Amino acid sequence: MLTMRGITKAYGDVRANRGIDFDVPAGRIIGLLGENGSGKTTLMNILFGMVPADAGTIVFRERVLARHTPRGAIAAGISMIHQHFMLVLAMTVTENVMLAWNDDGTWLHHHAVAGRIKEASDAYGLQLDPSALVGELSLGAQQRVEIVKAVLQGAVLLILDEPTSSLSPPEVSVLLGILRRLRNDGCSVVFISHKLSEVLELCDDVIVLRDGAVAGSRPVAGATREDLAYMMVGRELPPPVERSARAPGRELLLVSDLGARDAAGAPRVRGVSFSVREGEVFAIAGVDGNGQGELADIIAGARAPDTGRVFVEGQDVTAASVAERLAAGLAYIPADRASTGLVGVMTIAENLAMRDVGAPPHRRGWWLDRVATRALAETRMAEFGVRARGPEAFAATLSGGNQQKVVLARELGRAPRVVLAVQPTRGLDPGATRFVIEKILALREAGAAVLYVSTELDEILAVADRIAVMYGGRVVGIVRREDADLTRLGLMMAGALEETSSAALAYGLSTSEPAPRPGHRDVH
Amino acid sequence: MEFLAASLRIATPLLFAALGGILSERAGIFAVGLEGMMLAGAFAGVIASQVLGSLGWGLVASVLGGAFVALIVTIATVRFGADQMVTGLAVNILALGLTSFLLRGLFARGEAPIIRVVTLKPLPIPVLADIPVVGPLLFRQPPLTYLAGVAAVAVALFLARTRAGLTLRATGENPHAVFAVGADPARVRVGALLACGALAGLGGAVLSLQQVGTFTDGMTNGRGYIALAAIIVGRWMPLGTFLGCALFGAADALQLRVQGLRLPVSSYVIQMTPYVVALAVLAGLGRSARLPAALGVPFRRERR
Amino acid sequence: MTSTETLDTTFTRVLSAAAAARPFVLALAGVGLALALSGLLVLGSGKSPLVAYGSLASGALGSRDRIAVALNKATPYLLTATGVALCFRAQVINIGGEGQIAVGGMAATWVALALPAAPAGVLPIVAALVGALAGAAWAALAALVRLTRNVHEVLVTLLMNFIGVLLVSEMLHGELGEPGAGFPQSPLLARAAWLPRLVRGTDLHVGILVAVAAVVAAHLLLWRTPFGFRLRLRGASAHAAIYAGVSMKRSLLSVMLVAGGLAGLAGALDVLGVHYRLIEGFSSGFGFTAVSIALIGGLNPLGVLPAGLFFAFLETGALAMQRAVGVPSPLVLVIQGLTMVFVLAAVALPAPARRA
Repeated sequence: MLTMRGITKAYGDVRANRGIDFDVPAGRIIGLLGENGSGKTTLMNILFGMVPADAGTIVFRERVLARHTPRGAIAAGISMIHQHFMLVLAMTVTENVMLAWNDDGTWLHHHAVAGRIKEASDAYGLQLDPSALVGELSLGAQQRVEIVKAVLQGAVLLILDEPTSSLSPPEVSVLLGILRRLRNDGCSVVFISHKLSEVLELCDDVIVLRDGAVAGSRPVAGATREDLAYMMVGRELPPPVERSARAPGRELLLVSDLGARDAAGAPRVRGVSFSVREGEVFAIAGVDGNGQGELADIIAGARAPDTGRVFVEGQDVTAASVAERLAAGLAYIPADRASTGLVGVMTIAENLAMRDVGAPPHRRGWWLDRVATRALAETRMAEFGVRARGPEAFAATLSGGNQQKVVLARELGRAPRVVLAVQPTRGLDPGATRFVIEKILALREAGAAVLYVSTELDEILAVADRIAVMYGGRVVGIVRREDADLTRLGLMMAGALEETSSAALAYGLSTSEPAPRPGHRDVH
Repeated sequence: MEFLAASLRIATPLLFAALGGILSERAGIFAVGLEGMMLAGAFAGVIASQVLGSLGWGLVASVLGGAFVALIVTIATVRFGADQMVTGLAVNILALGLTSFLLRGLFARGEAPIIRVVTLKPLPIPVLADIPVVGPLLFRQPPLTYLAGVAAVAVALFLARTRAGLTLRATGENPHAVFAVGADPARVRVGALLACGALAGLGGAVLSLQQVGTFTDGMTNGRGYIALAAIIVGRWMPLGTFLGCALFGAADALQLRVQGLRLPVSSYVIQMTPYVVALAVLAGLGRSARLPAALGVPFRRERR
Repeated sequence: MTSTETLDTTFTRVLSAAAAARPFVLALAGVGLALALSGLLVLGSGKSPLVAYGSLASGALGSRDRIAVALNKATPYLLTATGVALCFRAQVINIGGEGQIAVGGMAATWVALALPAAPAGVLPIVAALVGALAGAAWAALAALVRLTRNVHEVLVTLLMNFIGVLLVSEMLHGELGEPGAGFPQSPLLARAAWLPRLVRGTDLHVGILVAVAAVVAAHLLLWRTPFGFRLRLRGASAHAAIYAGVSMKRSLLSVMLVAGGLAGLAGALDVLGVHYRLIEGFSSGFGFTAVSIALIGGLNPLGVLPAGLFFAFLETGALAMQRAVGVPSPLVLVIQGLTMVFVLAAVALPAPARRA
């Protein structure tokens, strides 16, 4: 039914899709598996007409699709359900469906549309009440509203992008059931995911992408989890970066049994405990959306946990504000430098002074000491190699790499004891990435405790002493760098393996005595 | 009884303006410019009636006058992304100046001319006007008052029952969702603003062509802002806003009569009441449950 | 330094100056365009724009008396617009100027009437301060509604305008009113309460000095203190502000207090220096004009100074222009409105990006 050949797409230097061939027969559920950055979302965005491909052809139901828009894709019978729903929360299910309706009447036919919704809902098990207010529905139900929109628009190919990231387990079962019924009715489904268990349970075939190219493609029947996991992450281990063996010192960051729920009450972080010691890098690996973001927010102070505590240098900072944690010695490099890390309309000097503006050297009595701020800025800019016209340049005019350098300069410039870095190399070119890695290692040398959260396994393998993997809000395994086994890591990241880690691994205790063998169990 | 009639009379121009404001705000644009649109409508109506000799043309001109001011707001906010609220304030000042200037500049040598137009007369509806009590109150009104009632029903139906109304409401809640279904939120907002101007212009016509019979400087006297408050009281819905306008009308009518009625309450306190009610409604909303979610936020297309 | 480095530093300075000057340039362009379009209007009505503008200028600047009137008029504009500029900079949309001015004038009147025996040097100061406090309190009320019930401050301050003005009218018909006057006003204030004249023989009172001092103080506050830095940060990026430890709630409340205080002071000075009594409706239109001035001034206290003076001079010259040339005085409102529209449209356009 669908044939995509040679799809290629590059964003600047980054090659998101490299000559991908992708086929979907009618009435099949195809799993599209891969880590962050593997190219799966880009491929589907191209299919759905949201971005144009640089090269390649798409043939759908014997018609060529080229330079089409989402409207055209929908008209051809392709619907895509994104991670962020396009719904009007203040309106009912019926009204949302009517909004997307293609019929050109002037008057709304509430009754008729509500009837169709009920029909479709019963046929596919969607459990939707047409008069319910979308804003009051659970996320799972909202997703089903998107599905009913697609069904009523006559979709024969349904694309779902990481559909289960916000669902509770019972909702996941409901969704999988619905997709099976759609398939049985002749609809095809492309199920984008990084979760092995779901792909194995639901899909007929699976295609694995890695680094923008197809790493493997096969029917699900008979596939082993290890094969798939290796296809997802398998690569040459990079040569180990030169660094000293250090005996970790005292505990500087301790998180104990952290738990948090989102606005809808679904748990996003569950029972996370670990500590990071002087002079080591503790990395958290995992696909985006498994709780790392929420965990980082809790440790940084942007949100309070529902359970558990955070200690920085022995002080309980769980209830402390962001500013108080900074005073306690915590530095935070946020994932979103453009809006959280930096203020584009302020100068580099102002950005560098942002957190410390109430204290010397930036403040002298009642006034700002602009001379001192400027001097400090110049020093930092030199230290961190920020290339700009001067400290008075506006942050928005800098390149991504230089912006990140400013953030680093601000956070690291005051020699912090504990550093929380979240996706610090996102969007950076290789040169800037190298710079960041070097700075992180330098911090390690200087005896700081670094918590490094990233989706990039390469970087983690380059800097980490211990690696934890998060899946579904829990830490599903911790390994030492020396013991890192890519297949095992891949399985953990895809939710197919969970190991109960020893206290030694979690808290970085000395390994002079052999660590007890961790028990592990396969997870379904 | 006479008090109720007065309330209705005062509320009519407010209702037109508020209905227009609802259309604009439900589409996401804060209708601060209502005052200017009303004033332009009042002015255009009188001038056209005088020059072209008929009240019919005057009504057409008032619609166009209000829409013209709305056009200025549209271009600035939708095309250039200018801040909506301050643009509204700007056109209010502009309209005030322009109408007064043209009044003098077009007719006399710098002196304010006295223009008199024949006002619209009450139009009794044959059978209904004879119903005791209610008849004279509701059915012996000048034509624009009937039109206001019709307009209220029309706007309510439009918003709740038509596809265009649905799209407009969605634009005020989540323009990205509208964009995702292939409509253009910018065009929706332009349409809503122009309709707002047209209705507000009619509100001005009520003042100049139906009630007073001439144009005087700044004759709207803050009614555009009062309409904004009425929208708040009515929680952005036509029926509720009708009640809100009635409330303001009643308060204004009451405060004039408070001496005669010998009420213990000062007339100013009475006048304050609707505003306090509006505040209470606002505060009661708490999480702004009914406030259009995207009100005041310009729509910027994201390049994914 | 090599020659390329010197060139680079000069280039940086020029570009930064250009960036800083951009709002000023835009404001000038807006004014120019507005004057040109208004000139066309004048032409259309059969008069010469140059003559009209000439008489406008002489009506405002032509004699000491005229300048005095203009400066008196500028005083409340400058004070209120400065406060509004600070608020808008912090992304606090406070349009409650008119109510705050009214309440401030009322409080000052009350003090002046209640303490007629106070010494002449002290009474105006006390009355003005109380006026400022009253304005601040009025603004704080709006801020509290905003913070506790989570409703947008635009709507709250808009409604509070009406309530404040009505409150003043209420008081004028009661305790503060002058019985037997044909018009709602307070009794004439004792001479001891009047603001001293700045220049003998003219009407110019010391309020203008207070206004200029406030503008300078606000400039220093915004650009040279940690408090001002946090306001600017709050306005530029809420996320970054939270991470930098700025309390969104406290900063909203504090900037509203400052703005309310300035507006209240404006009302008090107008009562004590120009009218010498509280008159119903004396604050009419001030609040919204202040918003316009704040905007044209680029939301910068130092920019508010020329913008406020410009508006005040326009209004002062208006009647003279009408009498002398026959061009209707509402023309100045047209100029003001057009200036605002043009500046608003231009400001919204993104600045040309310069990559490092």
